[in-house]
Amino acid sequence: MAVAAAPTHGGGVADHIHPEPHSFIRRYIFSIDHKIIGIQYIVTAFLFMVMGGLLAELIRVQLMNHSGTFVKPDTFNELYSIHGSTMVWLVIIPLLTGGFGNFVFPLQIGARDVAFPWLNMLSFWIFPVAGLMLYSSFLMGAPVAGWTEYPPMSLLGGPGTSMWAAAIFLIGVSSTLTGINFLVTILKMRAPGMTFTRMPLFVWGQLATAPLLMIATTALGAALAALFIERQFGVPFFDPTRGGSPVLWQHMFWFYSHPAVYIMILPAFGMISEIFPTFARKPIFGYKMIAFSTVAIALLSFMVWAHHMFTSGMAPFLQLPFMILTMFIAIPTGIKIFSWVATLWGGKIHLTTSMMFAIGFIATFTFGGLTGVYLSAVPFDLHAHGTYFIVAHLHYVLVGGSLMAIFAGMYFWYPKMSGRIMNEFWGKVHFWLFFIGFNATFIPMHWLGLLGMPRRVAVYDPQFQFWNQFASISSFVMTAGILVFFINAIVSLRTGKKAGANPWGARTLEWQISSPPPYYNFKKVPAVLAAPYDFAEPLPYRGLEGELDPNVPAPVAAGH
Amino acid sequence: MAVENRDPAVHLDRGFWLVTALLAVLSALAVYATIMWHPENMPQLPEAAIPADQVDQLFKFLTASAAVIFIYVVGYLVYFAIAFRVRASDPPDAVGVQIHDHHQLELWWTIIPTVFTIVLAIFSVKIWAGVQFASPNNGLVVEAIGHQWFDDFRYPGVHGIVTDEMHLPLGVPVTLHVTSSDVIHSFWLPSMRIKADMIPGMINTLRFTPTRAGTYPIICTEFCGTLHGTMNKQVVVIEPQANFDKWLAGWKGKNKNASDAIPVAGTGTVNLTGGDAAAGQKIFAQKCSACHAVGPFSQKIVGPGLKGVLHDPAHPKLVNGEAANPEDAAKILQKGYDGDMGHMPNASQNGISDKDIANLVAYLNSLK
Repeated sequence: MAVAAAPTHGGGVADHIHPEPHSFIRRYIFSIDHKIIGIQYIVTAFLFMVMGGLLAELIRVQLMNHSGTFVKPDTFNELYSIHGSTMVWLVIIPLLTGGFGNFVFPLQIGARDVAFPWLNMLSFWIFPVAGLMLYSSFLMGAPVAGWTEYPPMSLLGGPGTSMWAAAIFLIGVSSTLTGINFLVTILKMRAPGMTFTRMPLFVWGQLATAPLLMIATTALGAALAALFIERQFGVPFFDPTRGGSPVLWQHMFWFYSHPAVYIMILPAFGMISEIFPTFARKPIFGYKMIAFSTVAIALLSFMVWAHHMFTSGMAPFLQLPFMILTMFIAIPTGIKIFSWVATLWGGKIHLTTSMMFAIGFIATFTFGGLTGVYLSAVPFDLHAHGTYFIVAHLHYVLVGGSLMAIFAGMYFWYPKMSGRIMNEFWGKVHFWLFFIGFNATFIPMHWLGLLGMPRRVAVYDPQFQFWNQFASISSFVMTAGILVFFINAIVSLRTGKKAGANPWGARTLEWQISSPPPYYNFKKVPAVLAAPYDFAEPLPYRGLEGELDPNVPAPVAAGH
Repeated sequence: MAVENRDPAVHLDRGFWLVTALLAVLSALAVYATIMWHPENMPQLPEAAIPADQVDQLFKFLTASAAVIFIYVVGYLVYFAIAFRVRASDPPDAVGVQIHDHHQLELWWTIIPTVFTIVLAIFSVKIWAGVQFASPNNGLVVEAIGHQWFDDFRYPGVHGIVTDEMHLPLGVPVTLHVTSSDVIHSFWLPSMRIKADMIPGMINTLRFTPTRAGTYPIICTEFCGTLHGTMNKQVVVIEPQANFDKWLAGWKGKNKNASDAIPVAGTGTVNLTGGDAAAGQKIFAQKCSACHAVGPFSQKIVGPGLKGVLHDPAHPKLVNGEAANPEDAAKILQKGYDGDMGHMPNASQNGISDKDIANLVAYLNSLK
């Protein structure tokens, strides 16, 4: 049964198309269709984002007052621990890989599905189960030591900490399977003629992310298994009073979590690289350099993990290679940013909501990237580590970076998923509320951190109260923007303008078939003649659906 | 140069050069403002030790460079988005300039960031060496021990621990060893721009030389449990040396008979006669109220509420299944508590004397 779609390197002849399932359950619940699974990921992740966002607002309400009386300190610690875990593992990673990855890139490479559709279904169904397990930890005493769960604090945390470890372990299994699936799909199932240098850049982003998912996540799995075993069965991996090492956890955790930072940004880079040329009506500037820098960042991401641990106590000279390698990540990242800006020059720019989020992404991600360069310098990091400067930096790259790109991608691919365009007016309201609210929330935190406000505190020095109140009120504006987005996404399902196949005039393959695409994507797999970004040329595809071709067999109702 | 054939020639118009000049002016202003900014004059963040000024130099260098990069990226971004937006007069299928790349330009924006990164790396390594090695290790050696949720200090020649503040003489190089007795804490001296994690079973070392007399905060920056946000102490930089010696001599006398082992529990019995409930109330506010409410048992902050602890028969039996009496309360205050209700520090960790215990018990006895 678990047979993948047709092999496509033999001239694009489709020899085997699965019949479309007709039962609701096989079609929309336990689906093996990458498009449905992608949408399932997106919907589930946005539901978890509502939860994570609610926790964030409870955190900001607590911090309205320096003596923080809204919730008890232990409850506060649970709130930010689950907030961080939710946003990283249940929102951003699933949206960018399982969500947009699943829906978009198989269409872009002209495949009928991913290489292992049943494995894909398994990857998805692990995710909501693990998410519910994570939230069930609230019922038994949630973890308190933040999303990083450093021992010995995580050994002392409530019983829910073991549940947390089990849930994140499962999410890791799901990520690893997705990584394998995507890597095989991209390497083996591209349409004929789609060489590496003709792949859309979003596919390059997924190609660079897949090995990170496969390799880095296993290190996290080992760390979580050790933590679980230590908590439940008393084997001392991390407890220093019994010969364990708490710093060992930090190495294993960051060996995963630094590459995870790039799992959360490389697909976002790919999205921006699709959206910019489409709305500027211009080829992406420096295609090869953008693709190359994506791979360079993925490779470098494995060599810098200890820059999260400069204060943890390592041999001083060991700090230097980690510092210098971290600084070098700025070079490929800079190349990307300059190339995107240059893509705008001389364009015919359509300032759609999607494009505005993409432009906003460049501004906020550049800001977050630059504070990352600050933190790479050991002497500065020794001052800023563990303070609100870190909170500000990580939200600039994960919210100002990943989430802005996700919104840009939502407005961009929503018509392909639903057949309708999201309301542009409310889209722009969303953009401005979110953009202003976001910057006003997180800019003051840089300063608070440098002046002496540590992170993960339920109460703080009264001198910091004004800017905390400012941040809290701004965060309500940002949340209002996100509410507008959710309402717009739901209402537009019924009332949105009909999209047609290609509402944006984009040139990658997914826009050359109907919206939403047919079950089998491509009746005949097209041949690819060139890279997809030459707006003045005819489309570089041959044999698309609709073109008469006697060699195309009708879909086979295979007898399984 | 290596522009592909199908690409039209690049022509940068007057608007581009005007914007470039405007961004240059803005960048120059930002760099000037950064150079003119003196962190040492900021009341919240003085430069109080030898590496601090160097760290601030690095911060200023980073800020000046980041400002220039940010101004140019965002400046061009916004300018291009406005200048090249599609006009109503454009045909619907209008396309932009079909240019794919420009190898010379790409070469430059690879080389310039690479050179900048190398300069930054060299500058950072130089300052790193200053932070690591500028203060010789022949000065004063102090140890700091983190606990939930306070720091203790040990000084050469002083038995036992110093429990109030960390005092340091001005201008004397300090070698500070930090560790922890329970979970990971972090020892941050914002005014000295240095920090080290306090990790149980490990010793980390900071070297610095205080250069400015005054009182500065010590802040815990690694999450360490319920009251992490309140884990602060102070460092007092004293001049002249004689005043520091006097302070140290005071502790030498006070701790004459203290054990050098890190104290874990008190011994002997406390004389409870003459306890003053009013004085106890004051100590309660300082030392106990972070964890204990003056309310019913169920009103838990970290530990249980303590109203009626010695009187209410319904109050859970704290000691061997019996209702607590004043002697039991004194013993818990003295030895601390470790059990299913959590962890409470002992008297020496809490910094309370036998007299304080007598006063506290009198106060608890008055809560009916």
